[in-house]
Amino acid sequence: MTENYGIALLYATVSVVLLAVLLQLARLLRPKEMRPETDQGRQIKYKTYECGIEIEGDSWIQFNIRFYVVALIFIIFDVEALLLFPWAVVFTDIGMIAFVEMLIFLGILALGLAYAWRKGDLAWVKQSAKNAGGRYHNAETERVL
Amino acid sequence: MISLESYLLVSSVLFVLGVISIISRRHAIAVLMGVELVLNAANINLVAFNHYNGGALSGHIFTIFVIVLAAAEAAVALAIILNLYYRRASVNVDDINSLQG
Amino acid sequence: MDTIASLKYIIPELLLTALIVVVIVMDLLLRKGKESRAGYLTLWGSLLILAYLIFSPAEIHSLFEGTVVMDPFARFFKIVAMAALVLTVWVTFYTESLRSYFRSEFWILLLIANLGIFLLVSSIDLLMIYLSFELLSLMSYILTAYLLKDPRSNEASLKYLIYGAFSSGLMLFGFTWLYGLTGTLRIDEIHSAFQNGLLDGNGLALVVSFILIIAGLGYKIAAVPFHFWSPDVYEGAPTPFAAFLSVAPKAAGFALLIRILNLVFSGEGALSSEFWKIIPETNWTLFVAILSVASMTLGNFVALQQTGIKRLLAYSSIAHAGYMLMAVVVLSQAGISAVMYYFIVYLLMNFGAFFTAIAVENKSGDDKIASFAGLGYRAPLLGLMMTLFLFSLTGLPPTAGFIGKFNIFASVIQAGNHWYWLAVVGILNSVVSLWYYARVIITMYSTNQEFDASPLIVERPLVYILIILAIPTLFLGIYWAPVYDFVLNSLHFFLPI
Repeated sequence: MTENYGIALLYATVSVVLLAVLLQLARLLRPKEMRPETDQGRQIKYKTYECGIEIEGDSWIQFNIRFYVVALIFIIFDVEALLLFPWAVVFTDIGMIAFVEMLIFLGILALGLAYAWRKGDLAWVKQSAKNAGGRYHNAETERVL
Repeated sequence: MISLESYLLVSSVLFVLGVISIISRRHAIAVLMGVELVLNAANINLVAFNHYNGGALSGHIFTIFVIVLAAAEAAVALAIILNLYYRRASVNVDDINSLQG
Repeated sequence: MDTIASLKYIIPELLLTALIVVVIVMDLLLRKGKESRAGYLTLWGSLLILAYLIFSPAEIHSLFEGTVVMDPFARFFKIVAMAALVLTVWVTFYTESLRSYFRSEFWILLLIANLGIFLLVSSIDLLMIYLSFELLSLMSYILTAYLLKDPRSNEASLKYLIYGAFSSGLMLFGFTWLYGLTGTLRIDEIHSAFQNGLLDGNGLALVVSFILIIAGLGYKIAAVPFHFWSPDVYEGAPTPFAAFLSVAPKAAGFALLIRILNLVFSGEGALSSEFWKIIPETNWTLFVAILSVASMTLGNFVALQQTGIKRLLAYSSIAHAGYMLMAVVVLSQAGISAVMYYFIVYLLMNFGAFFTAIAVENKSGDDKIASFAGLGYRAPLLGLMMTLFLFSLTGLPPTAGFIGKFNIFASVIQAGNHWYWLAVVGILNSVVSLWYYARVIITMYSTNQEFDASPLIVERPLVYILIILAIPTLFLGIYWAPVYDFVLNSLHFFLPI
């Protein structure tokens, strides 16, 4: 029974020592001035995160519109993949027909991707498409969506 | 054991919140969020009914299709709203009022 | 019937899907400036499918494990939608406002919307209904926003989208309750579940789900109070698409409404008998009658104040939804056949009015009724045909509109004296509608106003399209027996066994 207390004592001692060592180590590394009244302190205190990587600027900036278009295309193809799960479950029961059906489905999806590609919606810098129906005939002069 | 009524209660609350959000919000994106709430309320209903009524998995399959359609609808809606924002620099539903009569 | 065996019965759908894929691939391969080739392919392909539909046998089959049915009723509405598509695609080549946006996407989206209609009118499974409903709606949103640089088009499509997403969400929620009450998604099984007394004590849940489903369907057919999107969308959308929207999705909405009301919310033996009963828990006929009266009255009275032709036609189309709902309420075969006949007539006269508006819009650049001033002298043939279409929309003899309205009123009066008041409201509304249709005609022929007297030159093909629409509009007012027989032959539904 006493040795059980010994384990608890050892545990408590290690915890206290470890804590003390870590705090001392942190004191060596961290910036000295933390009071918000001083210049240096204010810089630290008003950051989003007080530790980690230095932040580059405000997050409330305008993102390039291309992010949204790419995100829209991504969402569609991402969620369509959801339909593969129930198919995969019953695949072995149905066999060849299920395989052909899914090939047709994926073929139509691929056609959609080919459409987005051909119309230049996947390119980061929009270019006037050479083929018919390129949406932006004067991409240089017109702000494109 | 959680009863069917609990699920129906959650879905009804979600449904009402969605409807309130659609009716009262001014920001087009917030209106769309309300629509998503309504669809998810329906999803909870479907899965709960399917679980408690038993039988085939039709309710679960329905839910998967609703999720896919919700994504498609959101994509179309966001494309339209982005285009509108380009022309008007506003997505406030109250500002969009040039068609009247 | 299983999947492979079903395939040979859905050839129109397969052809349409193949046409969509071919047009998309063609669009990807075409060079700039040759877009109209994809349009001509769409036109000829659609004509082919229309011909196939007309000559296909009128049989009843339950396909794909009972999710889709082929019956003469669905085939009828497919023919109406396909005819609307052919006319819409044809007229896009002669629409000025679409010239600067002349791309294959317009036709591709129209074709996909039509595929949605095909599936919607023939599905009897709640999941299929919801999927095809959304397919049609999503394509409609994009087509409404088609004029990217026109702020009115953008705005109309945002409004359409918000109302549409809301009401289809409500409908979906109603569907989940039906599913919860009966444990099945097939509406014929739901029907038999209700007949077997599964409903005991759940009347309230059924009423709630009925109201929610009506919200979704009422939005598709633009009935008051779910009509708010319709005038804005008709004004903002490209005019050919506004014409399509006023007929094809409305027809699909009515087909679905008739199928759901009479299969889910009706009593034993519905659809096969002359008159049928409703489930006692849901006394929905009065509810739908109120929608009908509200649609007619609001549509007609607000149309009186309109200054734009597209908005005027939008309110007129709301009023027509009211007239047609009147024949749904009475629960009889005569009522359903009157609605179906009216859709043929409505396709002709409404497209005629919209296409005349396109001819005027091509020159004036706006859709004001004032632009019609002196049309009777600037383009006599066009003025004459517009007068015919407007008379037909009013329901004056000897036009097809008169016969269509007469059938509807007759079916209401046949249904018994407790619906006389509905017929009276309908007739009074027709009188009111004469007022605003006549206003357009007076604008066209009045000499007491200033107008540009130079002749209005209309492209030849557009005149041909209008003549093709005008002749049956007049002819069906004099001799309608063959078309009416066709409607009666189409009045066969898939029935639960």
